[in-house]
Amino acid sequence: MERNGSTISTDTIVKLTPGDIFDKYRGTFYSLVVVTILLIAWYFAANRIQNTLLLPYFQETAREFLTAWFDYRIMSNLALTLRRVFTGFLYAFIIGIPLGLLMGYSQTALQAFSPIMNSVRQVPIMAWVPLSIIWFGLGDGPTVFLIAMSAVFPLVINTIAGVNGIDPNYYNAARSMGASLPDIIRDIVVPGALPSILTGCRLAMGFGWMSVICAEFIATSAGFGFLMVEAQIRLETAQLYALMVMSGLVGFVIDKGFLIIEKKLTSWRFKDGFVGS
Amino acid sequence: MALLEVEGISKIFTQRKKPPHIVLENMSFTVERGQYVSLLGPSGCGKTTLLTMMGGFLTPDAGEIILAGNKVEKPGPDRGFVFQNYALFPWMTVKENILYSLQVKKLSKQEQNKRLHELLEISHLFGSENKYPVQLSGGMQQRVAVVRALASRPEILLLDEPLGAVDFQMRELLQEELAALVEGAKTTVVMVTHDVNESVYLSDRVIVMSADRGQIVKDVYIDLDRPRDRQSEDFKAYVSELTELVRQAFREKNVELQPDFVQKDVNDNMQTNFTNAYNRMSSRYTNVSHGRVAK
Repeated sequence: MERNGSTISTDTIVKLTPGDIFDKYRGTFYSLVVVTILLIAWYFAANRIQNTLLLPYFQETAREFLTAWFDYRIMSNLALTLRRVFTGFLYAFIIGIPLGLLMGYSQTALQAFSPIMNSVRQVPIMAWVPLSIIWFGLGDGPTVFLIAMSAVFPLVINTIAGVNGIDPNYYNAARSMGASLPDIIRDIVVPGALPSILTGCRLAMGFGWMSVICAEFIATSAGFGFLMVEAQIRLETAQLYALMVMSGLVGFVIDKGFLIIEKKLTSWRFKDGFVGS
Repeated sequence: MALLEVEGISKIFTQRKKPPHIVLENMSFTVERGQYVSLLGPSGCGKTTLLTMMGGFLTPDAGEIILAGNKVEKPGPDRGFVFQNYALFPWMTVKENILYSLQVKKLSKQEQNKRLHELLEISHLFGSENKYPVQLSGGMQQRVAVVRALASRPEILLLDEPLGAVDFQMRELLQEELAALVEGAKTTVVMVTHDVNESVYLSDRVIVMSADRGQIVKDVYIDLDRPRDRQSEDFKAYVSELTELVRQAFREKNVELQPDFVQKDVNDNMQTNFTNAYNRMSSRYTNVSHGRVAK
């Protein structure tokens, strides 16, 4: 306590709280301050505008937000959407990772696939909606397709970058120690590209989560995105706001989950460096 | 018979829109078992290229390298290679790094542990076997890299400027560690370096290469007792002799496009090999510069 108190005593805010605990949650504290300021601003703005269709009262939205977590209809739609996201992500993962590893490892594969991939990638994800409905009808099919479609590219690109970023001497070292090609893929390519692959997973999940809500506006009559459209049609803006906050929160939690997985799988990156001369 | 025979090695690098660059021309020497040999020369003299070919990562355009009777064609566990940046796998612990060559050979756990014990012993790394490379000091990383290369009991240890990235203060300390480690392992070593002091401190023999086509300027035997005293007159004499030779080697660099075929004691057969290789490269160069350029 004494040690910490003395090292950061120049900081005026720290004096108010026990130094040790505050130091650990400093970031959380600052972000909570910003959120609180925004909510207070919302409270006063809503009271001033007095138009619940444009900007519902803060209290009302908060109530909607809190009750939503116990609302069976909302929760079952959220579960459905999450299932779609994970299914779509899984397809993207199964296709994207091997393709990315191949394109990263083999120059020929990169030359063969990258032009087509880079053009398909430019088609806006919403432009796939009509075609996906033609192919898969309404319901799960098009939404899962759209998620997979938007998740596969960040996965492929990050996997390629991960493989390309591997020090060529790692390959040479492994070969000089007698490693065969399968050994090299298992022991060098995959672990070497893993940090980048996991970043790709986080991006892919984020894109998937964003595109599923959009897809559900159009291509289905169930799911979290569909609930939003419904709330809008019924002019229940407070609920719409609550659902939007929820979708942001769910995406945030998924991302945090991936961060935890990343720290677990690549723990070697987070070890303390050597201290001393 | 010598352990390592380098016979008429030539290497030519070609780049688009540039004349072929002769890195090594018809280089030959042998290394006896148990010798510690340094390849010393100014940067760009082809010493690292030569070591890379000994490692099997690069193929010579002419000539061959023979290790213990076998022609070197690709990398293999009979040569332990220590890279300049050590190339320790950061996702593996010290133990996993050291045992990698045994693990791919699928040796039993018992044998692996036995070997690990021996290697930790000579490298004084006990207690660090479960750490990751990032958690180690530069000196410890170097020791891990060396014993990892020694793990498969190679015929020869190839060191590519193992202390190139270390600051001056650390350098002498690590040289002592390296000397002790190599002596303990009783192995043959070929080391590439541009540090005269280092080569005198560590080697039995120093081959000075010129900046031009990697010709051998002089082959100097270091006749000093170990451990060596850097302050002794004899040591200093070797250092100044070699410094002068390197300086001379650097001055000898002359930029010429055609290979000079007039040589003192060349094996005709090897010379033909080199000429063929050179012509092959030149024609490829011409083809590329006139043909379409693939993207």
